[in-house]
Amino acid sequence: MINLLRAESIKLRTVTMNWVLGTIAIAFPLVVTLITAFVRGDDNDFTTDLLLEVLTGTSFITVLLVAVVAAASITSEFGFGTIRPTFAATPRRLRVITAKALVLVEFGLSVQLGVVLVGVLAGTAIAEGRGSTIDLADSPNAVPALVGTVVLAAIVSLIGLGVGLILRSTPAAVALLILWPLMAEGLIGGLLGLVFDSEEPARWMPFRAGFRIAQLNIIDDGPSRLMSGVYFGAVSLAMVALGSWLVNRRDA
Amino acid sequence: MLEVAGLTKRFGAITAVDQLAFQVRPGVVTGFLGPNGSGKSTTMRCMLDLDRPDAGTTSFNGRRYRDLDRPLHEVGSLLDAGYVHPGRSGRNHLRWLAASNGIGRKRVDEVLELVGLTSVGGTRVRGYSLGMKQRLGLAGVLLGDPHTVILDEPANGLDPEGIRWIRDVLTHLAGQGRTVLVSSHQLSEMALMADDLVVIGQGRLIEQSTVKDFIDTHAERWVRVQSPALHGLAAALTEAGAAVTTLDPITLEARGVECAQVGELAARLGIVLHELSPQTGSLEDAFLQATASAQVYRSADPFQPPAVPQ
Repeated sequence: MINLLRAESIKLRTVTMNWVLGTIAIAFPLVVTLITAFVRGDDNDFTTDLLLEVLTGTSFITVLLVAVVAAASITSEFGFGTIRPTFAATPRRLRVITAKALVLVEFGLSVQLGVVLVGVLAGTAIAEGRGSTIDLADSPNAVPALVGTVVLAAIVSLIGLGVGLILRSTPAAVALLILWPLMAEGLIGGLLGLVFDSEEPARWMPFRAGFRIAQLNIIDDGPSRLMSGVYFGAVSLAMVALGSWLVNRRDA
Repeated sequence: MLEVAGLTKRFGAITAVDQLAFQVRPGVVTGFLGPNGSGKSTTMRCMLDLDRPDAGTTSFNGRRYRDLDRPLHEVGSLLDAGYVHPGRSGRNHLRWLAASNGIGRKRVDEVLELVGLTSVGGTRVRGYSLGMKQRLGLAGVLLGDPHTVILDEPANGLDPEGIRWIRDVLTHLAGQGRTVLVSSHQLSEMALMADDLVVIGQGRLIEQSTVKDFIDTHAERWVRVQSPALHGLAAALTEAGAAVTTLDPITLEARGVECAQVGELAARLGIVLHELSPQTGSLEDAFLQATASAQVYRSADPFQPPAVPQ
């Protein structure tokens, strides 16, 4: 397994597009955080809650980009045919998928952890330079929400891998990963709400539930942060399992 | 030793490979021939467990491919030189392949050197010609120093020097006692390179033999004669039951007789001969003859230019 982890890690690190998307995923929330710190810092208005809201709010973009990298890591193998030398080098396909999943989870964790650490440190430094004070202890939800963004990135990398394994096409996988949380879940959740005359079904749409684990303040009475994470994690594992089953059964 | 037994692969209603069975012995280059659509590539994919066969097995020294722990150390394969990420450098392509089987970076540099790509190892593959990709693919084959080598059309896209190089490499590998199975449409090249042949058509085995036996069995044989007294000799040969074709005033081809018979006849008639040589058809002739009934995609009649309007 160590050999496979090394192989998959080399694959991920030696494609320029992954570096570009990874850089954007890290840079976007940081840029927004820095701009906010500069704009609001003058009025002593750059508070701990505002920093946390910016970091958790922009994690939406980061995790979508992580999902795209994860999906492309497998769909590009089918697209360029490298899946054949991959499976020729390792005929036990589930081992390859397991190694890929672990490498992608590590990628998602690293990216979002980087965003959180640099965002908090940079935001704190800028705010203090402008007379504001940032103290995470001021907000009881700070640590759960920030940890939630990191966990969310890890889970979403699995969702990306699962979608890629099932669809085997980069355009289809990327379109689904972007349109599903942005549009489809809202529409389906709305329809279910009308049918059942309840908000409850919509709260269990996978991405909506998943994003709850990264929210600073959960204001409705839906599932808890932990339950949302467990549920979203289970959905992602189910998708990887389905994709693995299909890949193991199909011709490469 | 590579053994294929009862291999069958269906795609819906189409049976691409049908109860195929053959052996490939070590120490020689074995050519894998068949018309387009005969199932060569599908067979190779099934052998490597990339396509799931509906029936049958392939064993490499008695073991199934899926049971090999680190396959690159035992079986090196190149099915398509295009199976590379264009944005990755040749060296990085080999690095991940090597890492998956616990092979170090030093070996990557060695095989790059071996195939002559050291200077472009850091260049992205999208900048490679097809010939360079073939060399990169062969470097991947050699990474684990395997005892069995399987190549699908390795000479595609190579220039004459490259074709000669790959012939030398494969002959060298076979000379080291390795099992070498190689498919190719370049039959003249195969005639120079291969010792044994496995010929298939419509997914079924047509023949397995040595190249010499295959040509002897399927290719036409005739006698070529040059003589200043051709007319008399042609008449005598025809009378002796040979089919004679006169090519020019001093040259004929006779079918249905042996050189010795022609020589004796000419001596008896006192006819001077300038040339008397046995002729045999090429591997291409033998292949076309052997696979005539198994062609899936047959060409139309040769192109006829349109008639000139009167």
